[in-house]
This record gives sequence, C-alpha cells and structure tokens, in this order.
Amino acid sequence: MHAPVLELRNVSKRFDMTQALDDVSLTLYPGEIHALVGENGAGKSTLIKVATGVYQPDQGEIWVNGRRVQIRNSQEAQALGIAAIYQEPMIFPDLSVAENIFISHRDRGLLVNWRKMYEDAEAILAKLDVNLDVRVPARGLTLAAQQTVEIAKAISLDVRTLIMDEPTSSLSAHEVAQLFRLVSTLRNQGVAILFIGHRLEEVLGIADRVSVLRDGKLISSRPRSEVTIDQIIRDMVGRRIEEFFAKSTAQRGELLMSVRGLTKENVFSDISFDVYRGEVLGLAGLVGSRRTDVGLALFGVEPADAGQIIFEGREVRINSPQQALQMGIAYLTEDRRQYGLCMPLPIAANVTLPTLSNYLNGLGLIRSTAECADAEEFRQRLSIRAPSVQVEVANLSGGNQQKVVLSKWLNTKPKLLILDEPTRGIDVRTKAEVHHMINDLAAQGLGIILISSDLPEILAMSDRILVMREGRQMGVFTRQEATQEDIMAAAMGQEYKMAERQP
Amino acid sequence: MARESSPTLQRLVNWLKSWEGLLLGLLIVVLIINSSAVPAYLSVGNQVNLFILYIERIIIALMMTFVIINGEIDLSVASLMGLAAGTMARLYEVGVPSGLAVAAALGAGLVCGAFNGFWVAFVGLPSLVVTLAGLITYRGLVWVLVEDRSISNLPGWLNDLGQKPLVGPFPLALILFFVLAVVAFIVLQYSGFGRYVYVIGINRDVARYSGVDVRRVKMILFTASGFIAALSGVLYAARLGAMRSSTAEGFELDIITMVLLGGVSIFGGSGSLRGVLLSILIILNLRNGMGLAYLSANLQTGVIGLLLILSVLVPNLARSAQARLARRRLALRTMQPAEEV
Repeated sequence: MHAPVLELRNVSKRFDMTQALDDVSLTLYPGEIHALVGENGAGKSTLIKVATGVYQPDQGEIWVNGRRVQIRNSQEAQALGIAAIYQEPMIFPDLSVAENIFISHRDRGLLVNWRKMYEDAEAILAKLDVNLDVRVPARGLTLAAQQTVEIAKAISLDVRTLIMDEPTSSLSAHEVAQLFRLVSTLRNQGVAILFIGHRLEEVLGIADRVSVLRDGKLISSRPRSEVTIDQIIRDMVGRRIEEFFAKSTAQRGELLMSVRGLTKENVFSDISFDVYRGEVLGLAGLVGSRRTDVGLALFGVEPADAGQIIFEGREVRINSPQQALQMGIAYLTEDRRQYGLCMPLPIAANVTLPTLSNYLNGLGLIRSTAECADAEEFRQRLSIRAPSVQVEVANLSGGNQQKVVLSKWLNTKPKLLILDEPTRGIDVRTKAEVHHMINDLAAQGLGIILISSDLPEILAMSDRILVMREGRQMGVFTRQEATQEDIMAAAMGQEYKMAERQP
Repeated sequence: MARESSPTLQRLVNWLKSWEGLLLGLLIVVLIINSSAVPAYLSVGNQVNLFILYIERIIIALMMTFVIINGEIDLSVASLMGLAAGTMARLYEVGVPSGLAVAAALGAGLVCGAFNGFWVAFVGLPSLVVTLAGLITYRGLVWVLVEDRSISNLPGWLNDLGQKPLVGPFPLALILFFVLAVVAFIVLQYSGFGRYVYVIGINRDVARYSGVDVRRVKMILFTASGFIAALSGVLYAARLGAMRSSTAEGFELDIITMVLLGGVSIFGGSGSLRGVLLSILIILNLRNGMGLAYLSANLQTGVIGLLLILSVLVPNLARSAQARLARRRLALRTMQPAEEV
C-alpha cells in the first residue's frame, strides 16, 4: 500500500454548544475512493472545512504526504494538493469553460495566451476522457457538465486529494453514471477521493472504503467488501440517550386536512397525507428531500401545481400566505432571521404582525394597549426572557427569538401549525420548552406538521412520520412501528415493504 | 420619583446622541448665528418666506419619506410636477374650465403614479429604474404638451391661492403642508399602514410570510406619490404664475436630499418624519444663512452635499465605535471572571 496523502489525526472542533468533531481520525490513500456518510449535522461539513483550511481544528493534527501541516485557508489547501467541489458548482457563468478551468492560476503574466489556454484545457479534459467545447461560456452547461469543469479545475491545480461534497444530489441517473466514470478515472490516476453522499446504494457502488460519522465522532471505517447497507444505517443512527420526555399521546380528533397527490413540477410529486386535530405529523428526510417545499406549498408561499387539499372538509386552493392565514394555517420557517422576524422592531410589533388588522381602530390606527397586552401574555406564557415587550428582538438570544416567532404564529390562533426546524440553533433548555409546547398545542386540538432533521426529535414528538426523499414520499410510519433505522433507510432510498397505512 | 423618570430621561439622552439630536444641535447653532446677524430673523414672516421658496419640494419630501422607508425610491416626482402643471396650463389655455383642468392635472399624477407602482409592485422591477424611466418619459410628455413656450395664462383664482396668504400670513401651500405633515406623522408612526411600510422596508420576506399584502402597500405608495407630486406641481405653477417645459427640473434630488439628510436609510426600514422635518429646517436656514454671508448658491449646494455624506458617515462611525467599546468591555470581563457574577 502507498503512503497516505492526507491524514486527520484526532481532530476536534467545537462551536459554542455543539461538539462538531470529536477526536476524528481519517486516512486517505492515493487511488482510493473513500466514502463518508452520516446524518445531517453529523459533522461531515465541518470535516471538509477543516481539511480545506476554512476552519482550524481545536485539537489534533493534519498530515499531508507524511508531513505535519497547518492549513490556514483554502489557498494553502490548494498548494498542498487538496481541493473540494460542492453540490452547487462554483462557476462563473459568463466565462468560457477554459477560463473557468484556469480561474485559480494567477501566474500567467500580463496578457492571456488564449491559444495555449484552450489547448491546455482541452488536454486536461482529454485526460479525463471528456468531450466539451472549451470556448463556450459555462452558462449553457448542464449541472453535470459544470461539475466536470470543477473537477477539471481541480486537476489543473494538480490536486492529490479531491473532496466531493454530495456531488450527485442534483444529477440524473445517467449523469451520475458519467460522473462515477470520471471519478474512477481519477482514482486510476492515483488521486485520493473523499466522497460524501446521501444515496447509500450509489456510495457503496463506487467506494473502496466507507466511514460513518455520527454526532461528530467517527463510528466506523471499513473496507467496502466488509460492510452492508444495514450495518451502515445502524452505525449512522446509533443508539442515543433519549433526551426527550415521553410524549403524551393526545386524543386524536377529527380529520383536519387531507392532501392527495400534491405535486410541484421538478420539486416534489405525489405527496399524500392526512392530519388530524390533536396530532403531530412528522416530516422526515435528508437535505434535498424537499420537506420544506411541501410546507411552503401548504402555506401558499410557493403554491403546488397539482393535487388536492381538503381543509376542514372543503376543497381549497392555497395561493398566498394571506389565504393560508385566513384558513387557520400558520408556518414557522426554518430561518427566523430571513423569514420570521423584523429584527429592529420590538417584540410586540413582531407578535401582532400577521394579525395587525385585529388591533386597528376605526381610523386604522394601532391600539397599542391591546397590542402590548397580547404580546405581554405570550411573553409570560412562553417565558420569553426580556424585560418588556418593547425590547427589540435583535437584542434577544436565539432561543428567545424563536419563542417570539412562535408567539407570533400562535397569536393567529391557527388550526394547523407547520413547524419547520423549530429547535434548530437554540439551547437545550429552550428546546425542551418548545417540545413541551408542541405537546400542549396538540393536546389543545391543533394539527401540527413537524419538519425536522433531528431524527430523535421527530421520533419522540410525532404520532405519525412521513418520510420523503428527493421530492417523493417514501412511506408513512406510525409512532409505534417506526425506528430510527426504518426512517433512515427510507430517507436514504431503501425500498421498504412496510406499506403506508393511513388509519 | 427620580428613578421613575430615568427611562424617559435615558431615552431623551439617547435621542440627543443620535443623528436627529445632532441635527437639532446644528439647527440651533444655525438659528443663533443667523438671528444674531439679522434682527428679525426668527419672525414668523421671515420663516414663512423661507418655507415658501421650497414648499412644493417639502410637501413631496413628506411622501418620499414613506417611499424610501419602504425600501423604494421615486425619481419621477419632479417630472410629474412639470407634467401636472403642463396639463393644467394647456387645458385651461384651450378653454377647458379651470376646475376641470386642475382635476385633470391631479388625475394625470394619479395615473402616472399608479403606472410606476404597477411595474414595481406587480412585475417586481426595481423602482430606481422604473421611476428613472418615468422621470424621462413624463418630462418628455411635458415637452410634447408645452414645447418651448412659457404659459403664463393661468386661472386667476389659482394665482391668488398660490401667491396670497389665505389664513393670517400663511398661503394655501403652507397650510396644506401643516395638515399633511400631521397626517403623515400619525399614519407613519401610529397606523397599521405605517407599520406595514416599515416592516416591508426592513424585510420584505418577513412581511410576505406574515400575510402582509406587499403589492398593495407599494401600489398605494407610488400612486399617492404621483398624486402628491401633481398637487405640488399645480401649486408651484400657481405660485410662479407661469410654467414652462423645464418647470421643476432636478427637484427630485433636492427632495431626496431632504429625506436622506433626515436620517432615513436609503436601504429602507429606518428613519422618521421627525428627522426629515429637522433636516428641512436645517436646509432652509443654512442656505439662508449662507446667503446672508454672501456665499454663492453653488457653494451652498456643496455644503449641503457635505452634510449629506456626514448623515451617512456619522451614524455608521458611532455604531462601530459602540461595537468596539462593547467588545472591549466583554474582553475585560472575560479576563477577570472572578469579579463578575
């Protein structure tokens, strides 16, 4: 065996509350495709960023070609022969293919020798066994072709370690096959490839070695020949301490919403489910599963193209958030800074925003006493830690901001509450409070759709769980029958016989 | 007792330290200098005269404050002043009854404003481009209407309204300004519509996700802006007793200066009418003072321009200084953890 090209030795990295990487050691050999898998938030992205110099590890060492190195930025990583390509190719659309390939070369003198550049670009593409016109602008290229350009760019820099972060997530099956041929070519030329992927069959089809990350720790690292899909899934979900109190099973009420065949072209298709009053329906899936898009469609932000929505027994079309709010649907977005809160405004103004018309007198002026009284009620009920409701939300902590968003939507007195990652980026204590509140709301007869990447959270909070993968519905599990393994398997695209039973 | 009053006092102190406080200080300095140089400087008559010179632009500045806080801009207002004045003058010239001619002028403002609003609100084009096109197009229409003549044959009652005091020393335009200023202040600070104007300016996505009808608010703003511009155009012609194709050319920049100097952010979402009113007072009195000191009009404009740069620079500097201070405090605290808690 050759000497390793890149070694991470006992690397740790911590961000505030979360241990993103915990004593991780990983070795890459030339001519090897090393697959790295793990749930959302397992630490894969952090690992890539440490290897490419974007982050500095708190502890641990990085060795390249048998020398200990420090990588302070991506230029230094490049100089060491390490490059990464991402899901979304970073292409300058108005430059030609050749210019994109050589974009990082800065030592070419004052004038560009176009002929030489085109020839060199063609030579690199030929080495990769790819046929592309190097003179056309990159704009018109397919995503797959753009990725090829990215790879060529890395080759032009004489890369020895190529990190590929979910490169297949937006490619068609045919394009994936092409990409894999290309990756194999690189391997045969002695490049070490760290391949991060979500589709297990795919990953196992190409990898020589498979490593699993979970909660920032390296769980296993085995040769391809010694692993099975089931084993990998078990490693990915593991057994975690139940950090949630037992869900109080609320009395399921009458049918609130029925969705049949909901479709948005090129986004999601044929999504069907029911939500009952007093029930929490979990929406599980990995990045790119399009869960959020279903939420946005139900709230009228990005309406669906086809399918049927029956709300409280009436068939409805939801074409705008105004309509959704009028019907009694509220949607807590995943990004509260961008979509949830007006940061410079006080708590009170944020809480009453969707229902402001209820606070106006005959002249259209805001009845500020009523506004403050209602906001104050929420401040106490959700124990928002702020001296008064006149405090600007920009001055609150993340957890308290999340409570303000929650107050804002509860104040619309919704019948259906869609929660998109309601506990992302908030502290443990607030997280528990939010979970408690979800239980309470369900007990009061609200229908709740909970979108979350946190598998234990989904399992602990939901009565039923709908699993999505790349815009398609993979199955609906009841709380009793679902295990982390089942859900992960469905989210990764394993065909499961456990047919959905809408009770 | 002293404790109870301290939050209010604190707020007052904070306000005085803000840009608006600085404007107030500057205004007081200018007023002191001017009134020590000219005996009856602060008399009502003198101040009224100052205001009247700019009154049409001042009225439009009230409306422009709404538009800019909303995160948009309307560059077409001065061309619309010209278009309204031209429409009115031309129609009266060809024998249309004076009342109808004025109504048509105001109607033209409404229609053109709504036209601007349509492209911005419903098609989603940037208002900078849409209203720049408006600036050119509407001015072009004035030239088509009036060509290179000067029309001084305006309705007599309109000339009277424009040139003679209506109540006490105040002509119609000034009274209109007082009324509009009060209405605008109440709408912006205390009404649901005003809240929407701010929220959309702060973050349009948040507004949309909260069920705010963003398009409706923008449509209303641009339509109102067109109407107010037309109204001011008619008032301007009435005050001068004449109009020509170049009437009010370039006024949009004076108007936007008044608004921005008042501390309204060009990016939308922040600022207040209080600041804009202060900035109007400063511009009027500073220009007048500089005139008294025999500074040329060009130099006066240069000073106003410098002030405008300061209005952006000072709050930014203050903010970064504050942040540095906070960081230093934090560093001190973390260095001596035992002393805290």
